[in-house]
Amino acid sequence: MYRYDEFDREVVQSRVNQFRGQVDRRLKGAITEDQFKPLRLQNGLYLQLHAYMLRVAVPYGTLNSDQFRQLAMIADKYDRGYGHVTTRQNIQFNWPELTDVPDILQDLADVQMHCFQTSGNCIRNVTSDPYAGAAGDEIEDPRPTAELLRQWSTMHPEFAFLPRKFKIAVVASPNDRAVIKAHDIGIEIKANEAGETGFHIIVGGGLGRTPIIGQTLHPFLPREELLPYLEAVMRVYNRYGRRDNKYKARIKILVKETGIDTFRDQVEAEYATLTPSDIAVSQDEVDRITAYFNPPKFEDLPQTSKTLTKHISEDTDFADWVEINITPHKAQGYSIVNISLKPLDKAPGDITSDQMRAVAGFADQYSLGELRTTHSQNIVLPHVKQDDLYALYNALKAEKLHDANIGLISDIICCPGMDYCALATARSIPLSLAIAQRFKEPTRQKTIGEMQIKISGCINACGHHHVGHIGILGLEKAGVEFYQVKLGGDATETAAVGDITGPGFSQEELIDGIERMVEFYLNHKEDGERFIDSYRRLGLPKFKEVLYNAA
Amino acid sequence: MSAKHKGKGPQALTANELREGFVVWLTKGFEWSLDFKDALLTENSDLIEKMRSFGDSQEHDNIIVGVYFIDVDSESGLPVRYREKFRVSGPTYDPEQKFKNTTKG
Repeated sequence: MYRYDEFDREVVQSRVNQFRGQVDRRLKGAITEDQFKPLRLQNGLYLQLHAYMLRVAVPYGTLNSDQFRQLAMIADKYDRGYGHVTTRQNIQFNWPELTDVPDILQDLADVQMHCFQTSGNCIRNVTSDPYAGAAGDEIEDPRPTAELLRQWSTMHPEFAFLPRKFKIAVVASPNDRAVIKAHDIGIEIKANEAGETGFHIIVGGGLGRTPIIGQTLHPFLPREELLPYLEAVMRVYNRYGRRDNKYKARIKILVKETGIDTFRDQVEAEYATLTPSDIAVSQDEVDRITAYFNPPKFEDLPQTSKTLTKHISEDTDFADWVEINITPHKAQGYSIVNISLKPLDKAPGDITSDQMRAVAGFADQYSLGELRTTHSQNIVLPHVKQDDLYALYNALKAEKLHDANIGLISDIICCPGMDYCALATARSIPLSLAIAQRFKEPTRQKTIGEMQIKISGCINACGHHHVGHIGILGLEKAGVEFYQVKLGGDATETAAVGDITGPGFSQEELIDGIERMVEFYLNHKEDGERFIDSYRRLGLPKFKEVLYNAA
Repeated sequence: MSAKHKGKGPQALTANELREGFVVWLTKGFEWSLDFKDALLTENSDLIEKMRSFGDSQEHDNIIVGVYFIDVDSESGLPVRYREKFRVSGPTYDPEQKFKNTTKG
């Protein structure tokens, strides 16, 4: 994975020193809160409902074991012994004190981490496929491109005050595991018929209060044009994006109002004024970055591990875990291991410091020292030998990290909601736990199969509810929480915004309604159909009737 | 920010501590408490004006941040707004069960 060069190190260290000075001046009263707020936000420090919250950037979700151990140390030393994986692959701490934050940033800098681009109207932390470098379906590792974008966008002076925040995601496989169509810019690295690789550029997607699926801006951008072309996009957005209304300021609104064809013309016109070679980096630099992501030396292993086959036949719980949480690896004899952060009794995405240290150890022992965070708020060990899976499973079990529910009904994406967030209108964590509790029986979960429930505690949609198979939005009126439901959303390469059903429910009514829809699906599904497939075939009216018909 | 009072019924003055970030309420003794039970609740406009002035000066002196008045229900003695109730109770899901606005450790 990427290692800082001298320049990176200097940039990060100077930012730590700068912020220490800014905090000091704030505490002494030399700068006001109005002056300080943008500075702290540029370093990922929010003031939330109960306390400060620090959001640590995890570029494209890749971490090494030392970094994860340092996060555990920070959780213990400065926070309350746990961290939270966000839907943009970052890690948040819910209880830091302002006076400790300069030291936290120093501890992060010591392991090549920071909180840049985790807040504010800049290009945010670039996200990617959590299986990058391991997935069998990828045409190359998308992370060198993500890293190139990180370097280009970090503290880019021209894009420090965009009309609104700007999110980019990159994948390199036909199966989209980073929701690229719900990003301001989504990039799919693909190959043409001649075998050359280029970039499919998607623009104007987003969730929030106006969910829109992104549209193709360029079907196949030549590699060397990536940075100049994106620079042209950013300039058009910077020039024409609305600044008069925060809720209409994202690029998705600009693209929608301008029309994709006119927007493309504007980008092309802007591109024509640029000197691409001034912006594009040299092939040497691209090669230098790419070299950091060279595949590790995988051992020459047999296609099927005899040890694995033996343990699968002897331990049915393990067999279930392998079936549900393990994904094929591109290297023979290896697997991608998904560690669920969705146990029945913990908020989705929470992980204790002890668990972090344990997982860091497992990464060292079993996954070449590497781990990933996912937008579905889980952890991935990307390179595990099939021979080691049983030992790893038992080790995870001892840490209560062995839930076999990846992609199932209890693997819920859920924002912090009113329990922690200053923007929330209703709680989301208790609802998520109650749904998981209702469907806790493992066999039943397996029978239901793939199901993506996504919950947001306000219309800003951090919990991705617009693209959930069942999407839930929490609202509040006169002190009573209620939940609205969307159906048929899709967060993959066939992305779709869910259909609005109707009036909201109380938590209990809602869970009963979900159960009725699940039963309806099981009774009417055709061979091999997932919930989402049956929904598409049978349609909204049928499911809506079941959802609302309590009789 | 200035603590403008526009509410109805009994008022309390709230903010976050600048250093620790925790939620606080103004007490009868014009100090800040982490516990809403200590909060000064009043409808007296002279007193409310004194609270406002004190809050602004405390913000200016870098003790607290984001000071504002909240409406309090005269029967329950709890904040009217849903969100403010959460600032009083803390998260209903608290992984470490040690919310209570206490500092760490």
